[in-house]
Amino acid sequence: MKTPKTDVWQGTLALMVLKTLETLGSLHGYGIARRIEQTSGDLLEVNYGTLYPALLKLEQEGYIASEWGVSENNRKAKFYTLTRAGRKQLEKQAREWEQTTAIIARFFASGETPS
Amino acid sequence: MRAMRATLVRLVSIFDRDRLDRELAAELESHLAMHIDDNLRSGMTAAEARRQALLKLGGMTQVTQRYRERRGLPLLENLVRDLRFAARMLYRNPGFTAVAVLTLALGIGVNTAIFSVVNAVILRPLPFPEPSRLVMVWATNLEAGRTEDVASYPDFADWRARSRSFERLAAFTNRGMTIASREQTELVRAVQATPGFFETLGVAPALGRTFRPDEGEPGAARVALLSDSAWKRFFGGRAEILGQTIRANEEVYTIVGVMAPDFRVSFSPGLPEQIYVPLVRDPSRGHGFLRVLGRLRPEVRRPAAQAEMDVITAGLARQYKQKVGARVVPLAEALVGKVQTGLVILLGVVTLVLLIACTNVASLLLARSASRQKELALRAALGASRRRLLQQLITESMLLSVAGGALGLLLASGTAHLLARLLAQNFEIPRIESTSMDGWVLGFTLVLSLATGLLCGAVFAPVTAAASLDQSLRESGRTATGGVRGRRLRGALVVIEIALALVLLAGAGVLLRHLWVLRATPPGFAPENVLTASLSLPENRFAEAAVRWSFFEELQTRAATLPGASSAALVSSLPLGNGWDSLQFHIVGRPDPAPDGGFSANFNIVSPGYFRTMGIPVRAGRELTPQDVAGAPGVIVVNETAAHRFWPGESAIGQRIVLPDAGADGDAVLTVVGVTGDVRQMGLGSEPRPEIFLNYLQPAPPWPWLTLVVRTGADPAALAGAVKRLARSIDRDVPLSEVRTLEQVLAASVAEPRVYTLLVGLFAALALTLAAVGLYGVVSYTVTQRTPEMGVRLALGADRAGVVRLVLRQGLGLALAGAAIGLPASLAVTRLLAHWMPGTRPGAPLTFAAVVALLIAVALAATWVPARRASRVDPTVALRWD
Repeated sequence: MKTPKTDVWQGTLALMVLKTLETLGSLHGYGIARRIEQTSGDLLEVNYGTLYPALLKLEQEGYIASEWGVSENNRKAKFYTLTRAGRKQLEKQAREWEQTTAIIARFFASGETPS
Repeated sequence: MRAMRATLVRLVSIFDRDRLDRELAAELESHLAMHIDDNLRSGMTAAEARRQALLKLGGMTQVTQRYRERRGLPLLENLVRDLRFAARMLYRNPGFTAVAVLTLALGIGVNTAIFSVVNAVILRPLPFPEPSRLVMVWATNLEAGRTEDVASYPDFADWRARSRSFERLAAFTNRGMTIASREQTELVRAVQATPGFFETLGVAPALGRTFRPDEGEPGAARVALLSDSAWKRFFGGRAEILGQTIRANEEVYTIVGVMAPDFRVSFSPGLPEQIYVPLVRDPSRGHGFLRVLGRLRPEVRRPAAQAEMDVITAGLARQYKQKVGARVVPLAEALVGKVQTGLVILLGVVTLVLLIACTNVASLLLARSASRQKELALRAALGASRRRLLQQLITESMLLSVAGGALGLLLASGTAHLLARLLAQNFEIPRIESTSMDGWVLGFTLVLSLATGLLCGAVFAPVTAAASLDQSLRESGRTATGGVRGRRLRGALVVIEIALALVLLAGAGVLLRHLWVLRATPPGFAPENVLTASLSLPENRFAEAAVRWSFFEELQTRAATLPGASSAALVSSLPLGNGWDSLQFHIVGRPDPAPDGGFSANFNIVSPGYFRTMGIPVRAGRELTPQDVAGAPGVIVVNETAAHRFWPGESAIGQRIVLPDAGADGDAVLTVVGVTGDVRQMGLGSEPRPEIFLNYLQPAPPWPWLTLVVRTGADPAALAGAVKRLARSIDRDVPLSEVRTLEQVLAASVAEPRVYTLLVGLFAALALTLAAVGLYGVVSYTVTQRTPEMGVRLALGADRAGVVRLVLRQGLGLALAGAAIGLPASLAVTRLLAHWMPGTRPGAPLTFAAVVALLIAVALAATWVPARRASRVDPTVALRWD
C-alpha cells in the first residue's frame, strides 16, 4: 500500500532523540516520536513502543532528564529535556556521524566501484 | 563511566519497582491519550482511533516488558528470584534440607578444621620481615643418609666467609639451661646464637641491644638477652633490667636486652625459649651441633644459593677430608619438618569425605527433582528456557552448600582447637597453637562451599533440566522418574561414594593394623611400675668424672631406697626415646669391615642394676656390677643382635673390642661379660640394632644428660614427687625434668601412628556413614517407585522373602560395584601411605578382606530397612497407588 519504511535502529534513535530535544527544548515521548517521523518525511517507521526503553537508557546514562508537566492539550505528560552531558554527547555523536557519512560518501563519490 | 552510572541507577530501580511501574503506566496512558486525540482529530471513530494508537505503540504488555528489562538488572533480579524460590523450596522440605545441609556441613566442616591447622602450621608466613628470604642451611652426610644434620662451628664459619648468596648467615642451637632464682632452680629452654642471629631474622630487641661481634669469641664477658616472659617471671618486668645479672647454668650473665613478647625461635609447642646467650667459637670440625640460618640476598633465589653451597662444601670436603654437604631449605619448611606430609595426607582424606558428601547431596537432589518433575515441566511449558531452568536448579544447590558451609564453619570453629590440641599433645608441631579461624580460613570455606554447590549442581541439574523439557505435562508426577538417565546417574553416584568410602576404610584399616602390630611388639623390657626422669648436669661443675660418679651413685642408691621403690638405675639413652648414639669400634682379632671405619653399633651408658630395673633379661654371662670400676678391667654387655652379628656361631662372652678415644689414655679395650635380650631402642617399629652397654663407672665418653629409672612395687607415678625432692636435696642446682612412667614413654612412642589412625579412622567412619545413607536413599527411593510392582508380585503369590531378596540384591549389586572400583584405588592409596609411614603394609590381604566385609555388612544393613518395607506392601493398597 505504502512505500516500505525503514526501521530505526537503537543507536540512531538515541541520536535522533537528542537532536530533537536540542531543537525543541522540552518535549514528551509522544511528541518526540511524532517529530522524528515528521522530520524523516514519513520515511521512518517509529514503533512508538521502542522509544520508551531508549528514553529510559538515555536518562539512566544522564543525558536527558524528565519531569511531569502538562501538554498543550491539557494532558498530564512526562517531559524530557537535554542535560549538559546530553548536549556534549550530541555534539560528539554528531561529529562522529558526519565523519562516518563523509567517509562513506567519499567511497561512493570516487567512482572506482568495480563493475 | 556512563555505563557505571546507568548500572547504579538500574540497581537502585530494583528496590523501587512498584512506584516506577505506576509511573510507566501513567506515561504510556498519556501517550495513548494524546495519540487518540490526534487520531480523533483526523476523523477516525473512537474505536478505530484507540486501535490504531495501540498498534503503533506495539502492544502495552510488550512495551512494559521491554521497558522493565531496561530499567532493572534482569540477571540480578533472576538470581534474587531464584534464591527466594530456592529458599522457599528448601523451607518447605525441612527433612530433605536438614539431611543435605548437615551432610555438606560435615564434609565442609572437617575440611575447614584441617585447613585451619594447615594454615597455621604451613601456610601462614613466619613472623619475621620478608620471611621468604629466610632459609635453613642443613649440613648433610649423604653417605650416612643424613639430610638434615647439624653443622660444626668451623664449617659454619667457612660457609659464612666463602658464600655470597646470603645477606647474613648465623648459627644457633637449642639447649636447656638451669636458671637459679631465690626459690628454686629450674630447667628452661635456651637458645645459643652467634652474634648477628637476630639481625638475620630481622628483629630488634624490645629493650637494650643484641650481641656484639666480639661476644662470640672465647673469653668474652658473659651476656644474655631475656625473653619477655623470663623478664616478667624472674624480674617482675622491672624497667631497670639492663645491666642486671642472672645465674644460668651456674654462671653469672649480664642482661643486655629483652625481646618482644611474641618473639620466639623455637616454634614447637610448650614454653618457648627463655634466655638467649652468645654462641662462642668452637674449634672442633668434628663436633656438629649447630643449626645454620641464612637470609638470602634479595636478588638470589634458593637454587642459586644451593649451587653455591655445593661448590663451597665440595671444596671443604677436599680440604679437610670430610663428607659434609649442605642443603638450603626455606626456613618455614625446615621448621614444619615431617608433620607436613601428615597434614597434607589428612587434607587429602577430608577432601575424599567432602566428595562423598557432595555425591550424596547430588543424589538426594536428583531423587527430589523426580518428584518435582511436574513443576519443572510447567515452567518449561510456560517458556522457561533450558538455561533458566539450569540456573534455578544450580542456585538451589549453591544455596544448600553455602548453608552447609556456614554450619560447617561453626562445627569447625568448635572442633579446630580440639584437633590442634590433640596434635600438639602428640607431635612436635610448630605454631600449632596459633590455629584460628582467620580470613584465609573463612575464604577457604567460602570458596569450598561455592565449589561444592557448583559441583553438586553440575552433576544433577543438566539431567533434571533435560528430563523436564522432554516430558510433557500429561505424565503424572509419580511415573516421571527423572528419566532413565536420572536413575542411572543415581546408581553411578552411589557406586562412586562406596568406592571412595572403601579407599578411606582401607587406609584406616592399614593404619590400624600397623598400630596393632606395634602395640603387640614386645619392647624387650617390662614397662609396668617404672618411673623415669631426665636430668642434665651443669657442665662446668661436673666436668670431672669423679664428681659425676659420686653424684650418680648417691642419686641411684637413695632412689632405690625410697619407700615403695625396689631398685633404681641410670641410662644415657632410654629406649623408645629420641636419642641413641652410634659409635665405631674394632674387634680384637678381626679385620675391620672397611678400611676407613670399624664396626658400628649403638652405644648406651648404664649403671649397674639397669637391666634388673628395666626387666631386660640377661641371656648369658652377667650384668654390669658396682665392682666394674675405673681401675678394674673394662667390661661391656652386648645385646643378642650384636652377639649374633659380630660373633656368629660362637659365644660372645670373653670377646674383646677396642673403642677409640674412650679410655683415660686413648683407646679402651673392653671385654664382653654378658649378653642381654634385644630392646626396641629406636622405636617399636624399628628392628633392634646391635647395641653395646658401657658401665658409667668406667671411663667412657662424657655424657652430660642421663635418665633415672626407678622400679616400684605399686603405682610409679605416686613416687614422682619424692624423686624430685630427692634430686633437689642432693644438689639443688640439678633439676629433674620429664618425670614420666615407662608406660607413658611406651605410649608416647606410638603417638604418631595412634593419632593418624584415630583421625583417618574417624573420617573413614564418617565416609562410611555417608555412603550408607546414600545407598539407603537410592534403594529406598526405588522401593517407593516400585511399590505397585511389588504389590503385583505379592498379589500373584510371590513370597515376602523373595521380595526382600530382590531389594537386597539391588543394594548388594551397587555395593559390589563400588568395591570393585574401590579396591584397585585402595591398593594404590595404601601404597602411597606406606611410603609415608614406613612399617604399614599396603594391600595386606586380611586387612582388605576385613574392610570389604565391613563395607558389605554396612551396605546390607542400609538396604535391609527398605527391603523390609517392600515386603510389607499391602497388595490392595499398592494396586490402587497413584
